Formats: sequence, C-alpha cells, structure tokens
Amino acid sequence: MARRNREIGKAGWGYTAITSVVGFIYFFPVFWIILTAFKTRTDALATPPKLFFTPTLDNFTSVFYRASITTGTSQATDMGLYFFNSIFIAGTSVGLALIVGTLAAYAFSRYPLRGNDTYLFIILTTRMMPPIVVIIPIFLMFRLSGLAGSYWGIILLYTAFNIPFSVWLVKSFFDELNPEIEDAARMDGATEGRVFFRFCIPQILAGLSATFVFGLILTWNEFLFALLLTGVETRTVPVAMARTLGGEVGVDYGLLAAIVTLFLIPIFFVTFLLQNQLLRGVTFGTVKK
Amino acid sequence: MKSRNVLRGLMGATVLAASFGSAPAFSADITITMAAPDWPPTRFMKEHFDATYTSPAGHNTTLDMDFIPWPSFYERVAASLTSGEQKYQMIVTDSQWLGAFVEGGYYLNLTDRINADPELTAIMQDLHPALVSAYSTYPHRTRAQLEEAGVVPAPGVNYYGFPQFPDTYVTYYRQDIFCHEGEMAAFQEKYGTNLPCTYEDWQDTDWEKFAQIGEFLQRKKGDMLAGEVLDDDFYGIAYQAGKGYDFSSMQINAFIWQQGGDIWDESKAPDAQAEGVVNSDIAVKAFDQYLSMIQYMPPVARTGQMDIFVEQDLYMQGKVGAMIDWVGLGEPVLDPTASKVHDKSAFGPAPGSRQADGSIDRTGNIGGQPFVLTTWNSDEVVDEALNVVKWWLKSDTQLEAVKNGGQSGLKSVMAMPEYNDLRPWNRAHVEMIDWQKDVWHIPEFFEMLTQQQEEFDKAITGQIGAKEALDAIAEFQQELLEDGDYIK
Amino acid sequence: MADAAHHRGGFGAWLLDPKRRGALLVTPAIAILFVMNIFPLMWSFGLSFFNYKASSLKVPKFKGLDNYHDVLTDEKVWERFQTTAIIVSASVVLQLIIGFLLALMFAKAFPMRRIVLMLVLTPMMLSFVSVGVFFKLFYEPTFGIVSFVINLFTEERFVLLGSPEGAIAGIVIADAWMWSPFVMLLVLAGLVSVPKYLYEAAEIDRASAWRRFWTITFPYIKSLLLLAVLFRTIETFKLFDIVYIITEGGPGSTTETIAVYLYRTAFQFFKTSQSSALAYIVLFIVIVLTNLYLYAVNRRAEEID
Repeated sequence: MARRNREIGKAGWGYTAITSVVGFIYFFPVFWIILTAFKTRTDALATPPKLFFTPTLDNFTSVFYRASITTGTSQATDMGLYFFNSIFIAGTSVGLALIVGTLAAYAFSRYPLRGNDTYLFIILTTRMMPPIVVIIPIFLMFRLSGLAGSYWGIILLYTAFNIPFSVWLVKSFFDELNPEIEDAARMDGATEGRVFFRFCIPQILAGLSATFVFGLILTWNEFLFALLLTGVETRTVPVAMARTLGGEVGVDYGLLAAIVTLFLIPIFFVTFLLQNQLLRGVTFGTVKK
Repeated sequence: MKSRNVLRGLMGATVLAASFGSAPAFSADITITMAAPDWPPTRFMKEHFDATYTSPAGHNTTLDMDFIPWPSFYERVAASLTSGEQKYQMIVTDSQWLGAFVEGGYYLNLTDRINADPELTAIMQDLHPALVSAYSTYPHRTRAQLEEAGVVPAPGVNYYGFPQFPDTYVTYYRQDIFCHEGEMAAFQEKYGTNLPCTYEDWQDTDWEKFAQIGEFLQRKKGDMLAGEVLDDDFYGIAYQAGKGYDFSSMQINAFIWQQGGDIWDESKAPDAQAEGVVNSDIAVKAFDQYLSMIQYMPPVARTGQMDIFVEQDLYMQGKVGAMIDWVGLGEPVLDPTASKVHDKSAFGPAPGSRQADGSIDRTGNIGGQPFVLTTWNSDEVVDEALNVVKWWLKSDTQLEAVKNGGQSGLKSVMAMPEYNDLRPWNRAHVEMIDWQKDVWHIPEFFEMLTQQQEEFDKAITGQIGAKEALDAIAEFQQELLEDGDYIK
Repeated sequence: MADAAHHRGGFGAWLLDPKRRGALLVTPAIAILFVMNIFPLMWSFGLSFFNYKASSLKVPKFKGLDNYHDVLTDEKVWERFQTTAIIVSASVVLQLIIGFLLALMFAKAFPMRRIVLMLVLTPMMLSFVSVGVFFKLFYEPTFGIVSFVINLFTEERFVLLGSPEGAIAGIVIADAWMWSPFVMLLVLAGLVSVPKYLYEAAEIDRASAWRRFWTITFPYIKSLLLLAVLFRTIETFKLFDIVYIITEGGPGSTTETIAVYLYRTAFQFFKTSQSSALAYIVLFIVIVLTNLYLYAVNRRAEEID
C-alpha cells in the first residue's frame, strides 16, 4: 500500500470508464472467442456475425465427451487428463527454471566469472534458434534415453527453454539491489545462505513473480514439441486442441473456443493473483554486453 | 510395449507346451500400434475392431490406435519415422507420401506376401484398379499399366498399401434451388439448356454449364433466389482454390487431364518431360478455364484461401449453390446442427470436359488414404497385421464401414444392390472412382507440390496469368527432376 | 574460512570453496541447457556439413560448406529474409507503440485497475494457433466480423488477404495484438517504479511534459524497453503458427517467413542438412542483430551518462 504513492498520480471513476472502454476494445477478440464457445456452428458462422443468440453448452460437453461412431453412446475424452498435464508440466518446468535460473542469476550478478557476459549471451542465444531445427536431434535423443512420452522429458525441455529468460530477468533484479546491505549482513556474521534467502530473495519477490508469469505465458501454449514428444498419457491441451482444426469439417469453432476458454482460466487466475506483485514496481537493471 | 508383450505371450505358451507335452498353436499377446488421423473413418475402424475382431491365428490382438489430429498428422508421422522411433506397426498415409517413406525404408513391401497368400491376392483383385494404382504401387504404376499386365498382382510391380478411406470429389448441390421451377425456367430461357436438377442432369453437366450456373446464381443481398429474398450475397459455385497442402492442385490437375493435357508422368520416367508438357498450350487453356470460374465464387476465393473446408463451410451455411468437394466431407453437410442445408442437399458426379464425340471426360485426382505396414516388425506381427488387413477388407466390415460414413474400395461391395442407398453420395462416388488418377509419388513430391501450389496461388489471386504460372512450374520441375535423375 | 575448509579437506569442501561458488551456482542451469539445447544444436550443426536427408537410407556424405553456399545463393532464401524483416520490424514497432500507450494508460492508479488491466493482458495467454484461427475467421470476407464492420461503410466486399500488402497487414495486426501486452507489462513495471517525489520536484521546476518524460520517466523504463525490444524481436523472428494458419505464406510466397520456409525445408522436403545450415545462418543473423542493438544501446547509455 505504501508503494501506491509512487504511481504517477491517481484518478477516479471517470478514468476507469475511459480505460474500460479502451480495455474492452482490446479485449474484444477474446470476448468474441468466449462468445463463440457458447454458439452452435451455424451461429458461429452466421452472417452478419451474431452478438445475440441462444447460448448452448454443447461445446463444453464436447470437450469432455464425444459420441461413439458405431453406437452413438457418449464416450469420455481424455481432456481432463490433458488439462492436468498442461498445468503440471508448465507449472513444474517454469518453477524449476525459476529456481535454477535464480541460482545462476545470483552467481552472474555476485560472482562474475571471466567472460561473464559471453556466458550470459550464449545462454540467450539458445532462445534464438528456430526450434524446428533441433527437433530431429531432440526426438532421437528422447527415444534413446527413454524420455519420450514421459513427464520428465517434456518438463526438462521446457525448463531449458525458460532458463534464458529467467536468468536474464532475475539477474537484472539482483543487479539493482544494494550490495552494501549484503556486505553489512556478512559483517554481522550472516552466512552466505542467510544473505541469499533472508536479504536478497525477499527484495526481488515481485520480480520473481513477474518472471514466473512471463515463463508460464511462454510455456502454457507451446505446441510443436508437445506434439512430438508427449505420449498418449502426457499429451497437453494445445496438442489435443488441434483435433478441432480439421478432419471431417474445417475448424470446429465452437469446440476450439470452448477449449480455449477453459484453458484460459488457470493462467488467467495465476496472472491475476500475481498481478499485485507485478505492479508493485519492478526495477530492472541495464542490459549489458 | 509390443515386444515385451510378445515375449510374455511366447513364454506363457512355452510353459503350456512343456506341461502338456505337445505343441499347440502359439498364442501370443500382440499389440499393433497404428498411426491414424483422428476422424470418423479411423475411429470407426478402432471401435469395430474392438467389437468384432478375433485373430484367426488364435492370438490375443490389440489394435492400439494413436489418434493424431489431422492438421498435425503428417508432422507427427514424419518425425516418428525419420527419427527411427519404430513406434508404429501400421500407418494411415496419404498416397503421395509413399515414395518418401518407401525410399526411407519405413513402409513394408508386401508384394511377396500378396503373391504367396491367395486370400490377399483375391482382395487385390477385388480392389478397384484405380485405387490399387494410386494407393499401393511404388514406383508408381498407372491403372492402364496394371490392366495391361492382365493379371493381379501384376508382375514386376511393388505393392504397399490398402484403402483405409478411398475418396473422390463429387458435386454437392442445393436441390431446393436447382429444382425450383422458376429458376429452371429462367435458366432455360437465358442459356438454352436445363438447370441440372436430377442426378442424370448432372451426368450431362460440363464445365461450360457449371460456369453458366455460377453466373446465373450469383445474386446480391435483397435479390430473389428460388422464391425467397436473400439476406446476404449468394454465389453460384465453388471448388477448391486454396494455397494450403494440395487444395488447388487436386482440382486443377482434373481440368488439365480432362482436356488432354498432362502433368509430369512419373510412370513414364525417365522419358517423360516436365518442360513442354506441364506448360503445354492445352494445359494453359485448361488452367485458364479453371481460373475463369473464380469470379463466380465467394470472395474468399480471391485470397487463395478457399480450401476444401472453407468451401464446405460456405456451402453448409447456404452461401453457395453447388460445390465440388470430397465425399469424406459429406457427413457434416447432412448434420442439422452444423448445416443449414442438411435437408436441401443432393449429390451428383463432378462436372467434366465435353469431348469431340459429345461424351464428358471427368478424370479427377484421387483423394483418401491407404494404410501400410512398417518394416521393423517380426514375422509374427506382420502376419497378424495382415490378418487385420483381411478383416478390414472383408465385405461385412466394409459394408459396416460404409454405413458408418466410410467408403469401400472393393468392387464387389460397390456392386451390391443396397450400396447406392447407404449414403446419398454413393452413386456419384462409384461413378467418379472410375475416373481417378493420382499425382506424383516420388520422394520429391512435397517440393513439387509446394512450388506448384505457390504458383497456382499467384494466378488465383490475380498476380500472374495461367501461362506464366505453368511456365514457372515446368521450369522448376524440369530442373528438380533432372537433378534427381528422373528425367534423363 | 577458506583455509579452515581446505584443512578439513575432501571433495565436498573443495567444491564449496567460495572461489567456486559462482561456478557451482551456474552449473544446474548450464547442465540442463547443455543437455536439452546446446547438445542438439551441436548435433544439427554437425549435420549441416553433410548431405543428410532424414527420409533417405543413403549414408550421408560430407559436403563441407556446400549447404551454406547453396542456401546463401538461393534467391528464395533472400526473399524470405526480406519478408521476415518486414513483418518483424512492423510488428515489433507496433507492439512498442501500443504497449507503450497502454502502459501510460495504466500507470495511474484508478478504481478497478486490476480488473481492467486483465482485459488487456489476456491476448498473450492465448495460443498462437487459436489467435491464427480466429483472426483468419475475422478476416474472412463472408463470415468475418472485420469484413462485416468494413462492409457497413463500403459497397464492395472487403477482402484483406487477397493482396500481399493486405496479407502482411493481417499477420502483423494479429501478432502485434497478441504481444503488445507483453511490452506493456515491462514498460508498466518501469513506470510505476518512478519515485513520485521526482515528479513533484519537476512540477516545482515547471519542466515541460516532454522534458519530464525524457529526464525522469525514460531512464526508469529504458532498460525494460530494451529488454522488451530484444525479446520480442527474437521471438517474432521465429513467428510460424500465425503465418502458417492465416496465409500459409500466400498470396504466392509473399508472406512466407523464414520460419515457415525452414519448416518446409526440414519437414516437408526432408533436406535435413540444408535446413540446419539455413537455421545456423538465421541464428547468426539474429546474433549479429542483437549485438549491434546492444552495442548501440550501451553506447547511447554512455553518451547520456
């Protein structure tokens, strides 16, 4: 609360009204997608586009159940499992990347090695490679090591994808801290572990939350590697979502929208909960090379 | 998974054999993992297998279908095969991928097994030769070449696949419009010929009339159509004109073949040329005719985005009078929850080019998918997989498949009296299947297709003309094929 | 401390020596990166010197730099690079402008800010695939809502994706819409951390708004803006799904980005080695661009200091 006064002025409800209009215009495509989730196919493709219609929950039912071809009875899809997989895989890998990345970032910030910046840059370059190129080697590697189709395989891979971003962001937070406080604590006999956990981490919690949210957003919807490296048991929602894109009909807009809407809920709430941290004011350091 | 199960089954059998002192037939647990696109024809196969299959060899067989969403099916299969994962025992495949994956050593050559097995031989004899040519042979042999041999299987030909879902394109049309008396009379008056209403009328419909239909039925919002005021613009006709995958080549090839032109003919390698054939005057004229009808189609056609699904949607939402599309996309058109025209649709053969003798040539490019076996399996698994093939291509199974929205490639099944009534497009499908040819199967297929689709797309979006597009395609193919020693 | 540890001896103590603490802390990150990223990258780097085709049984032959030569002399590749450059720069600039304006809007505290802010943050939580699919639907001339709105004012049906310019615009709008919130969030983080007393001081000095922005606000958001540009450029360079879904590279090949071309070469044409070479050229270009950019920024930072 004390930080509130750092913001550039305060505004009242009038300002809320203006920003809401702008916000809603920006949100409109998402709103339309959510609306589509409640439409039949003919409503979704109506001309002119329909804002008012009789809503149906059929699309949401179809996310979890579908009719058998031969008997017409309703069969459960594995969508529930896929939702769990997505949450588990993304959550674990982003968390892991944050832990590992924070340790590395602390080292880069406090114990610079010779050629520190070069190492940092190399870490960043792994994010620049078009992923399509490493697919065949990774696919082969996964098969040889037995990681294909397992949770650990895809979690480790996503962790690797998130490390560059985590290291770079978290390092910039550490750089901003005042090392004199840490030195003073050391003078008082605090161990390195205590300095790290008691002095450094609490000060950058907001930044860590921001990094977690960014990582989650970048991982949540990953498609290509999930398609190739997950098995039937470990499949994630983005892969399963592809079944709505064509087969007997073109895109099943209602079903796709229903999955998108459901899939939006977890990440929306995580972001909403961590939003306070994001807005408390995160100062990032200068990027140097 | 599979090998462990086989081993366990074998061990169990050995113990049994030892204890009884005699050797009964080996009964094993066999799991056949099949890569399959996630759609009704394959889901039917799985459900029906679980309900009806018993192994003639006495095995305990599981068909484990790995359902992969259609849009990412190719990527998943290609990655699995090329990485050497060896996960699948059977694979549903597009016929055009045969070359790449046969040359890669992934698809099993079944020629010897077919020759040695009278049951399989009989199946191959009963399959429609157009399907055998397109779905099974590599190096590719045309239907004419196969029929010339006089025997099935033809000597010197390599066989790989069997039909999972044989597909052709047919005309979907709005009976309420085409059989509307006022519209029929107006059409008759304007063009001096009839607006096709019955199946027989469509049998006599050529591209010229199809274009007239396009012009005639193109109406603006507020105009009258079949006695009602339109609440939106309406378009007469649609066929595929999309940049993606093969969503224009399949239709353009038909125009070219029907008028006596040709694509590069791989069955005549190394003598067949691309330059001078692909861009022959006939081909240019045929492609021009294809392009001339774009103006009568919904405006999305001008973006080069009217793929097989977009035209299906436009038709289902009542924006188009008649469209040419795959039979495999037919079921949703009859579904009241998805389609506004579910009770107004009828089906006929796709139009063709009028020949000098007055007959109509409807040569078309075949669709659908065969399924194949892979190379890394034990004899036991291959034998059992072939038992699954035989089960699938039994007339009972095939008839059941057709009832559930599938199609059959067996001549005996298509000749059954009840066949035409099972689905409303079956008559048209049977008529069309006789006209089918296929595009190339060589491993370079995708490179040729992508470049061709790109040039076609430029012409469809009006950036270049037909001649320019075909010249560019011919030049590219000639060079590529000479480099690959396909043209000498 | 160090000496005492040394006397006690043993590998554990050696490892925990403060001299090695930095290296020790970095090790887990580097290990994961090495196994999951660097090793496969080196693998494909090796492949780029052979004529390996993943779909062929032929034993690959060493070809030296031939693949690099082929790729660099391929006209198509240069066209794809141009297309990519246009899309990346247009999209990143648009993201910066929109993101910046949104951040300014949300920098003030106002009632229900948390909720309104969520409206703007949502687009980047969608998948590329769904953004691609729905924007394609919005642009569709018959069913699309964009076409519907524009048709209220025009007679002719609005066809956006029929021309190269329109198709590029369609892609850029979708991508910029999706990722502007990312830029906004970073800029906003900087904006809200500007101490208020600085503004009060400026108020007393009667500094102009422009001057206030450059002297007070900008230093606080500078490094964040920099990060935003850096990450968005790197990510947009890899833009694939949105392009592939909205236009498939069309009309013709006018919107085919290097990522789409790379996908075709690697997965459709199975030119595994050649695609590796192309990917390394892409990587090289991105590295050079990043370095130029960081160099320019740091020099400018020095000038200001």
